[in-house]
Amino acid sequence: MSNTSSKLKSLTDNIETIIRGKPQEIKYVVTALLARGHILLEDNPGAGKTVLAKTLAQSISEGAVDFHSANGAVAFKRIQFTPDLLPMDLIGSYIFDEAKKDFVFKKGPLFTHVLLADEINRASPKVQSALLECMAENQISSGDHTFQLDQFFFTIATQNPIEMEGTYPLPTAQLDRFSMKISFGYVSEEVEFDIYSNYQTINNGKNSVKQVLAYQDIIQLQKAAEEVYIHPELVKGIVKIVQATRNHADIALGCSTRGGITFIKCLKAWAMVNQRDYVIEDDLRALAQPVLHHRLIFRNREAAQTVLQQIVSLEVNKLAKLGIGMKK
Amino acid sequence: MRSQFNIDKFQQLLIRIVLVVVPTILIGYITLRFLNFSYTSLNTGILSQSIYFGLGLLISYALYYYGARWIISIIILWIAYILTEKVISMLPGEFDVFYATARFQLYSTLFIFGWVFGFLLARVKWSYAAIFGVLATVTLISISDSIDVSLTYILTRIAPVVVYGLYMLFLTPLLTKRIEVTLKKSGKFALRIVLFALLILFAFIVTKSLMKGNLKAVEKELASRGAKGDKGGSKNDKDNYDDRDGLMDKTDDGYRLKDTMRVNSKMSQSDKLMFCSKLDNYFPDGSPAPLYFVYHYLTRYDPVKETFTRDVNVPSFDEMEVDPTTIPMYYSYTDTSIVRKSLGRKLRKVVEAQVYLSENTWKHSVLGPASVFSIQTIPVEKDFQKTFISGYKITSFTSELNNAYFVYNVSANPMLEPLQEQRHNELRSINNYTKLDKKFLDYYTETPTGGIYDSISKLAFSLVPKDSKPVDKVIAVRDFFLKRNENGKRVFRYTLKAGAVDDPNIPSSKMLYNFLFKTHAGYCTYYAGASLFMLRALGVPTRFTTGFATINRSDKNKGWYWFYASQAHAWTQVYFPGYGWLDFDMTIGNEDQQGAPKPDGTPPLPPPEPWLVLNAKAESVNATTKSLDVSFNQLIYFNTPYILIKFFNRPVDASLCRVLFNKRDTTFAAIQPGDSLIIVSYKDEAKKFPQPRAGVPIEQQVQSFPSPIIADEIHIHKKEKAKKKDELGKKAAKAQEKKLTWQEIAWVAAKIIVALLILVLLLPLLYLLYRLARIAFAKDATTKADHVYRAALYRFHMAGFERETETPMEYAEKTIDPALAVGFTNFMRMYLRLKYSNSTLQEGDEVIVSNFNQPIGGSIRKTKGFLKSIVVYFYPLRALRYFQQPEINSETTSI
Repeated sequence: MSNTSSKLKSLTDNIETIIRGKPQEIKYVVTALLARGHILLEDNPGAGKTVLAKTLAQSISEGAVDFHSANGAVAFKRIQFTPDLLPMDLIGSYIFDEAKKDFVFKKGPLFTHVLLADEINRASPKVQSALLECMAENQISSGDHTFQLDQFFFTIATQNPIEMEGTYPLPTAQLDRFSMKISFGYVSEEVEFDIYSNYQTINNGKNSVKQVLAYQDIIQLQKAAEEVYIHPELVKGIVKIVQATRNHADIALGCSTRGGITFIKCLKAWAMVNQRDYVIEDDLRALAQPVLHHRLIFRNREAAQTVLQQIVSLEVNKLAKLGIGMKK
Repeated sequence: MRSQFNIDKFQQLLIRIVLVVVPTILIGYITLRFLNFSYTSLNTGILSQSIYFGLGLLISYALYYYGARWIISIIILWIAYILTEKVISMLPGEFDVFYATARFQLYSTLFIFGWVFGFLLARVKWSYAAIFGVLATVTLISISDSIDVSLTYILTRIAPVVVYGLYMLFLTPLLTKRIEVTLKKSGKFALRIVLFALLILFAFIVTKSLMKGNLKAVEKELASRGAKGDKGGSKNDKDNYDDRDGLMDKTDDGYRLKDTMRVNSKMSQSDKLMFCSKLDNYFPDGSPAPLYFVYHYLTRYDPVKETFTRDVNVPSFDEMEVDPTTIPMYYSYTDTSIVRKSLGRKLRKVVEAQVYLSENTWKHSVLGPASVFSIQTIPVEKDFQKTFISGYKITSFTSELNNAYFVYNVSANPMLEPLQEQRHNELRSINNYTKLDKKFLDYYTETPTGGIYDSISKLAFSLVPKDSKPVDKVIAVRDFFLKRNENGKRVFRYTLKAGAVDDPNIPSSKMLYNFLFKTHAGYCTYYAGASLFMLRALGVPTRFTTGFATINRSDKNKGWYWFYASQAHAWTQVYFPGYGWLDFDMTIGNEDQQGAPKPDGTPPLPPPEPWLVLNAKAESVNATTKSLDVSFNQLIYFNTPYILIKFFNRPVDASLCRVLFNKRDTTFAAIQPGDSLIIVSYKDEAKKFPQPRAGVPIEQQVQSFPSPIIADEIHIHKKEKAKKKDELGKKAAKAQEKKLTWQEIAWVAAKIIVALLILVLLLPLLYLLYRLARIAFAKDATTKADHVYRAALYRFHMAGFERETETPMEYAEKTIDPALAVGFTNFMRMYLRLKYSNSTLQEGDEVIVSNFNQPIGGSIRKTKGFLKSIVVYFYPLRALRYFQQPEINSETTSI
């Protein structure tokens, strides 16, 4: 435990040198990484989404390592999504090899360990859909070939709020692939002052982020996260929350079973990020919003803001009233 | 700064007291006045009543204005009440206790009313509307009870309440803001109020003058309608009402007078049959000579309560005290000491009477003419059981000079005039009361002195010389009531409307004063009370008697008299040495009496004379031959009761027998072996019953009884059931005796409600104790941690740190630890580990638990204050919130 926690700590500390005043968001990102999920950061431009994604990536990879010759190193690719992007730009395409007199597959940037999909909603849905397979099944099919990706495939996507001009909303199926969607938000007054005072050093540091974890460490941490204990009573609580989202009058589309599984995975990772080897009721509250909210379709704006909170609060309160050994 | 604020607030309070509380107390006083007019049983002094009401109003208004808690103050009041009751119960003397409690109950009720009103006025903005409604209703009810039908009367009575309501309506919008006390503003304010008053006055005058014609018509109509019901002339009675202002010093009755209340309360024109009687008292010419039926003698005058009471410790108490329902069938109860105590020897005679009681009558006391000394219960004939529920035969002593016809106005009755003259002459042979026992004389001539009593005495002395013969004094008083004015009209009148109609009490001194000197109108208790005071002042031993006037309506059934509720009566008895107590009824006849007198009914058949009554036990029963074997050792043989030295067995032939259970006819099959029976055999020549032989022991005579004994009546007393039934009967009787008034019911209901309230209030505290007890008795460290957790959550909640949607951990971090610093976060970390991980208790965990648990109480007390940390446990709503789930709207509404 101490081993994993020190590794985690070095990772978060490393990111915090660049990203100031956002410990919670950093934890979420790390949680998504450890839960073998993907994360979607949503906010206005300039809030630091991309910097966070890049810093994380740099903390665990050597940079532009070639995926195929990585050999224990972590490869990192970044794709800037633009309206004229095509699926083949991501996946790759067959091109004619003069020497071999044959078509060979030229692998696209999706073949990597850490993928930063920047401003994902600026590309058309058809491009967005190109990510579906790789995110869900860690594989990429093109023509009659299916290429396996590494077991470690982590996507950080950023997007601007859909109200902004020139954006295409992510389709529900695509959204469901993301374990978490977090809103970044602006930093507090003091932190902002700190950033402005030291932007020079921060900027310099951005380019010289140390790598603190290696590929093996990530795999190890991900395994450790799966070992985290979750009490059956909590699982029951999660079931009730998921069911409640399906039966609620103000929710048009409830949480899927995949969503529930992701929720448990994230809870475990979250507990580990918080230095625990067991999940507690507080975790439910902390993760319900980032993990579940983007999977639901609400019937009205007001419900979107309150209903999930209420459902979770009710369940958490019930759990809080149980005693040790889950006696009433 | 703070004191400045308080002075300001206090000023505001004073202003509000002047503007709101004082008018409310005033209107309360006025309403109480009306209420006291109509319900004299309330009377304990209108001023003290309103003082208590006002006090409650004032205190609660001030308290709630300063933001006191409603429930807590009620508890304090309740405790104060209990303490006061304790103190009262320690007061010496039974009477004091009674008096104090009766008064106390009324006052405390008023106080509580004041309290509630004060609360409403202080806290609820438009509450005066409710208060106005209550007061208006009370006023309306109290004036609707009056016999005065003039519309002006009603309007003037209701006007104060209406004015109050309008005043509050006008005032309330001004009260919401802070009231400035500058000269200019208060001047303006005063001006507004004066203008408002003028406006109201103007409105009244205009309405009255505009509606004059209409009002008169309505008044007329009302008057004619009212006259049908009561013909007592309303004008005089109005005076009466006005004069009754200060009469409120009478307590509501209790005591043994309750019996009197029952008699008199039936005085309202009720024509319910009370009982009928066959009285074997005849004139020498054979015509029936009716006698008044006595219920109770009220001998003692209580100047404090201003009422007459029954006094068992009176010298020569000649009222037989027995409950007829306790005497077994055919058995008799005789108290020969009554004969001695009745103090009459000359012209005495024994009178026998049968009395059949209907269900309307109070059946636990004896009703009979003059001094009853023997009573025997008799069955009611089958056909009359619907009308009469029980009967008894009585034997009493009475003077030959007594007669119901001897109301004084016997003129123009050729038979009675000489009789009465004869009686007076006989009594004139008695000199003044010189040789009488001093104690006796003092007791029966005792009158209070001072004020009203002196003027009554003076009146009495002006009627007759002090050295006249006693009988002449009585006649003088009688003539005073019969006096006619220069127009030849009677000065005194009989009316049932003298006081409040339903007022069952003997009139108070002031009412008597008004009766004698002003109104000259009253009913029997007025005449009896006034003549009692006058005669006692003249030195004539007199007592107040309640009972029934006997009216001989027809000679169809000679000696039978029927008594209806309207015949309930009160009169005086005057003592003449040697002759004993003689009835003198001073009540003058009701000249306005209308309507046909109630007819007599059919008299029940006289019960047959038994030669033998056995008090026996059924040994064996043969239902087919209708015979049974009984054993007995008590019997009545030719009206003489015996107790045998041993049990005798006899067969009984019941083939033609009437079987009764609980005084009602039943069948032979109802007799079970083991039942105790009363077996009656009538005198019947065919039975060949043996005549009693003098000087022969009863046991020998029993030997010669025929076998089988032919029974004519068998009364069953079921062994166990009968007892239970008896008890039930007694309970019912008690219930009847103690008929709950609405005040008592309200009182009991209030007690129950308060008890429930207290229970509800105590629940949060009890729950805390339960939680703490669970900690103390926890089996192991884990369960202890659990109970500490629950108790802590509860205690923090009750201390005012309510957890809403936070998880306990967040709650600990963000709310509790910053405020109380008790290490809750630390504890929660450990607790959640125990709860959700599969690891067990670790070293140091127990320390964390105790480190957390110990300082909770102290920390809360330090932050919240000692008193508040306890008081918070009396907020039931807060406790309720602890047990509530957080709200979630429409969890599953889709179908």
